[in-house]
Amino acid sequence: VYQVFESVAKKYDVMNDSMTLGIHRVWKDIFVHKMNPSPGTLLLDVAGGTGDIAFRFLNYVRSVRERQLQQKLKHHQNLSWQEISESYQEDKFKSLGDSHVVVCDINKEMLKVGKQKAQHLGYSEGLSWVLGNAEELPFGDNKFDVYTIAFGIRNVTRIDLALEEAYRVLKPGGRFLCLEFSRVTNPLLSRLYDLYSFQVIPVLGEVIAGDWKSYQYLVESIRRFPPQEELKAMIEDAGFFKVDYQNLNSGIVAIHSGFKL
Amino acid sequence: SVVRCQLCPPQRALQVSAVLRRVSDEQKKEPFASSSEQQFESHSTDHQPEQEPQGPRPSYTGQGGQESEDYESEEQLQHRILTAALEFVPEHGWTAEAIAEGAKTLGLSVAAAGMFHSDGSELILHFVSQCNTKLSELLEQEQKLVHLGEAEKKPTDQFLRDAVEARLRMLIPYIEKWPQALSVLLLPRNIPSSLNLLTSMIDDIWHYAGDQSTDFNWYTRRAVLTGIYNTTELVMMQDSSPDFEDTWRFLENRVADAMNMGDAASQVQSTGEAVVQGLMGAAVTVSS
Repeated sequence: VYQVFESVAKKYDVMNDSMTLGIHRVWKDIFVHKMNPSPGTLLLDVAGGTGDIAFRFLNYVRSVRERQLQQKLKHHQNLSWQEISESYQEDKFKSLGDSHVVVCDINKEMLKVGKQKAQHLGYSEGLSWVLGNAEELPFGDNKFDVYTIAFGIRNVTRIDLALEEAYRVLKPGGRFLCLEFSRVTNPLLSRLYDLYSFQVIPVLGEVIAGDWKSYQYLVESIRRFPPQEELKAMIEDAGFFKVDYQNLNSGIVAIHSGFKL
Repeated sequence: SVVRCQLCPPQRALQVSAVLRRVSDEQKKEPFASSSEQQFESHSTDHQPEQEPQGPRPSYTGQGGQESEDYESEEQLQHRILTAALEFVPEHGWTAEAIAEGAKTLGLSVAAAGMFHSDGSELILHFVSQCNTKLSELLEQEQKLVHLGEAEKKPTDQFLRDAVEARLRMLIPYIEKWPQALSVLLLPRNIPSSLNLLTSMIDDIWHYAGDQSTDFNWYTRRAVLTGIYNTTELVMMQDSSPDFEDTWRFLENRVADAMNMGDAASQVQSTGEAVVQGLMGAAVTVSS
C-alpha cells in the first residue's frame, strides 16, 4: 500500500478529478456539510494526505464563525462603545474560533503535497500535519471532537484496529465519520460502474500518472471493501453508537457516522 | 391513566460505554422511540419528573460492563443533552449550536450535536413535551387539592383560562425565539409529532377540567380549546404589554365566547372555525 501511494501522491488530486469526473469534490463537500462542525472543533483527519477534507473544514468553520460574529454584533446594539470595543479585542484573533484540524497520514509524500497545497491556497492557521498509522495513532485518549477518514479506510489492512483507534482518540460524545466507496444498490448502475472502473480507470492511471498497476489495485480494493451494512456492524463492534450511513449516488460512495457515547 | 413503561432492550450486550450512565434504581425513564419515526407521547400524569443530580457527569466505566441493562439508553442520553441545551436557547435559538453548548455542559464533545437535526426539531419537540408534562403535573396537583377539600373546584371557564395561561407562561423565557420554533414545528416532517403533542395536551386539560357544565361533545371540546390555545399563542408572540396582560385578556374573551356557544348549530360552526383559525394563524406566522 505504501508504495502505491508514494507514486500516486503527486498526481493524486488530478487522478481523483479525472476518475470521478470531478464529483469527488461534491462528495467531500457533502461530507463536511454533514459534519456541520462548530467553531472550536478539534478534527483529526486520518489518511487525509493532500488536505481536501482539512481545507473544507477550515472554510466551513470560518464562515460559521463569521455568521456568529455578525449575530453578536446585532445584539450589541445596546452596548456602550467601551463594551463593544472590548468584545472586538476578544474576537479579533479568533477568526477560526479555536478550531483546529490535525491531518494524519502514513505517507510522507502525501503530507508534503498537502503542506504545499496549504501554503499555496493560503491556509496558515488551524492546521497540523502528523505522520502516523491509522492502526496505531500517535495520539492520547479522548482528544478529538471528530475523526474523519475520507477514501482512506479501504487501504487499511486491519480495519477493526483503525476503528478501535478512532474510538480511543475521540472524546466522549465525539463523532466518527467515514467517506468511502461502497456497494452500488442499483443493478443497472452497477454494471455501468464496473465497466467504467475496470476499463477506464486504469487507462487514465497510465495516461495521467504513468501508472497502470496502482490504479488497478485501487479499483480492486474498492470491490473487496465491505458493503454498507457490514461496515456499519464493524463500526458498532468498535463501540460506536447511533451508527448510520448515507448513500451518495446510489451507493457509489457512502458516508458512515457513529458516536462515542 | 396508565404509565407506559417500555423497557428499552440493551443495544449491545457487553459494550463498555464511555458516557451512558447507570440509570438510578428507582425509575427507568420512558425511552424515546427511534428518531426515524418519532412518536412523541405526552407523558402520563403519574410520570415522575427527570430526577437528574445537578451537573450530571458522564461516567467512565471501570467495570467489565456486565450490567449493561442498568445503563441508560442512547435515547435517554439524548433527552439529557436536549434538556441541557434549553439553557442556551435564548442566546443561540433552537439550533445545533444550542445543542452543542448543552452537550458541553454534560462533559461531551460539541460533535454530539450531530446526533440531532440541524434545524433543532428534536430540541423543540423535547421542550414542548416537557412543558406538557409540567402542565399535567400542575393540574394533577390542583386536582389533589380539590379532592382533599383544600381548594374549590373551579368553574370550567376559569379552569380553562388558568390552564392555558399556565402553559403559555412556560414560553416566556424563550418567547423571542418561539416564532422560529413554531415554523419548525410546522415542517411536514414534524407535523405528526407536533400535532400529537398538541392534541394530547388539549385532551389533558379537558380531562382535568372535569367539565359537567357544557354540553360539548368530545370533538367540539378538542377543536374549541385547540383554537383558543393556538390563537392565544399567536397573540402572545405579538404582545408587548406588561406581563402579557393583553394576551390574558384575549384569552378570557375567547374562553367566554366558547362558553356562550349555546346551541348545536353554532357549536358545529365553531368547531370548524376553530380548526380553520388555528391553521390560518399558524400559516400566517410561518409566512411572516
